[in-house]
Amino acid sequence: MQQTRAKYEQLIRDLRGDLRPQREWCEGRGLFLVFGHFVGGVAAGAWLFSLLFDSRAGLGVAFALGALCGISHLAFLGRPQRFWRMAAQWRTSWISRGFAGLSLFLGGGFLYLVPRYLPQAPWAADSAIADAGYVLALAGMLVLIVYKGFVYATSKAIPFWNSPLHPAMYIAFALRGGIAALLITLALGGETAATRDLLLLWTAVTAVVTVFFALEMHAALTGGNPAARRSVHELLSGRVAIAFYGGTLTLGVIVPAWFVWAGLSGPRTLAAMVALGVTSVIGDFFMKYSMIRAGVHLPVWTRQTLQRG
Amino acid sequence: MRWGMVIDLRRCIGCYGCQLSCKAEHGTPPGVLFARVLKQEEGQYPNVRQLFLPVLCNHCEEAPCVDACPTGASFKWEEDGIVDIDPDKCVGCRSCMMACPYSNRYFNDSPQHYFEDGATPYEQARTGRHQTDVVMKCNFCRDRVRAGKKPACVANCPTVARIFGDLDDPTSEVSRLIKERGGFPLHPEAGTRPSVYYLPP
Repeated sequence: MQQTRAKYEQLIRDLRGDLRPQREWCEGRGLFLVFGHFVGGVAAGAWLFSLLFDSRAGLGVAFALGALCGISHLAFLGRPQRFWRMAAQWRTSWISRGFAGLSLFLGGGFLYLVPRYLPQAPWAADSAIADAGYVLALAGMLVLIVYKGFVYATSKAIPFWNSPLHPAMYIAFALRGGIAALLITLALGGETAATRDLLLLWTAVTAVVTVFFALEMHAALTGGNPAARRSVHELLSGRVAIAFYGGTLTLGVIVPAWFVWAGLSGPRTLAAMVALGVTSVIGDFFMKYSMIRAGVHLPVWTRQTLQRG
Repeated sequence: MRWGMVIDLRRCIGCYGCQLSCKAEHGTPPGVLFARVLKQEEGQYPNVRQLFLPVLCNHCEEAPCVDACPTGASFKWEEDGIVDIDPDKCVGCRSCMMACPYSNRYFNDSPQHYFEDGATPYEQARTGRHQTDVVMKCNFCRDRVRAGKKPACVANCPTVARIFGDLDDPTSEVSRLIKERGGFPLHPEAGTRPSVYYLPP
């Protein structure tokens, strides 16, 4: 009852304010959604780069992360037992498309990976079933990489997220997370052959992410919407600032960038590659957490409403 | 037919009668407010005025909540344009809450009651019938409307600030008021084509 009362009091306080913070998708069980979106992006990115770098272990890790993404989403839902209904509205709903993508990814990934890990499996790695799994998982991977940004960008209640750059930024984050996950996997497996390429890729994608982020902040600050401006202030100097500066900037960019510089200019140790991947991935989580947490609802009562009087 | 509402901001006195009558009609739990009244003061003493803005679901013609819902739980009745929720289909993903530019959807996340001593008999009878862990919102009192009555907030407004009618009928009172008094919807830039209009104060 105490918790319920506190939540009620919080809601009433929020409703009294002009700019109401978004809490449903980041507090309480909402953290599972943030984690699910984060880990889903990493899973899809890791699958892509594991295919490109031909890493069986990376594919296995990507599949496991995909499953974790599904479990995390189920933990967030109010009525998880009805999850199957989410396939119904794929024509209009990005969440529905994401559900379809995750289902394809997990189903296809299972068909593709089983014969690669279990030689005695009922179907062979070069069979039509495995090939079908490859195609399904690839389609699911593409949906997983793309859909999350659109879920946020089409949320009309939160102007901070209504940016055409948001989907592009989420795509870039999925790629960055995938590179980091593959770096960790390869380093833990003792493989160093591809790490130089991955470090260069990480640098390029991080640069793209940084440019997208800066553009989005600029657009939110200059776009004229008070809710979007408040969100930027929350991110840079408000209730999300610690997560942003500590998690996103320091852990997610500065520390891994130092490891990249050290790795490209000197000997690459496995421990350093693992540390790079881990800090980059943690930074990605905090980036998503910060962006979601900084969301502020579009104010119902606007200056225009008053001016009509 | 498309049911709609006109709210005359000149007549609204901020009595919260709509909010209370809605709560009584639907037995909504704490933290779920189908109808709300926003209050704002403007100007500087002694030239001050207080403004009230009653808000509720806008039953948009282009409802973003319906598009965002992955299960079809949020839907629009074809015959009267009312946007409704089927609680049996809702998975509680809250995407509709993020899609609604008017923030008029609420998540009923646990059995709640107003008093420390537990649920009152009224709450057990009325609040308890709502499913938890699903999203709730105003449905223009569709059961009442289908029975030929006005929505509870309209019927109980003491200053007759709320008028309910068919927006598709150009001769209806709501259509006439919107035309004659310059009725405006909230956030027209969102492109949602709301069915709730406001008359200037």
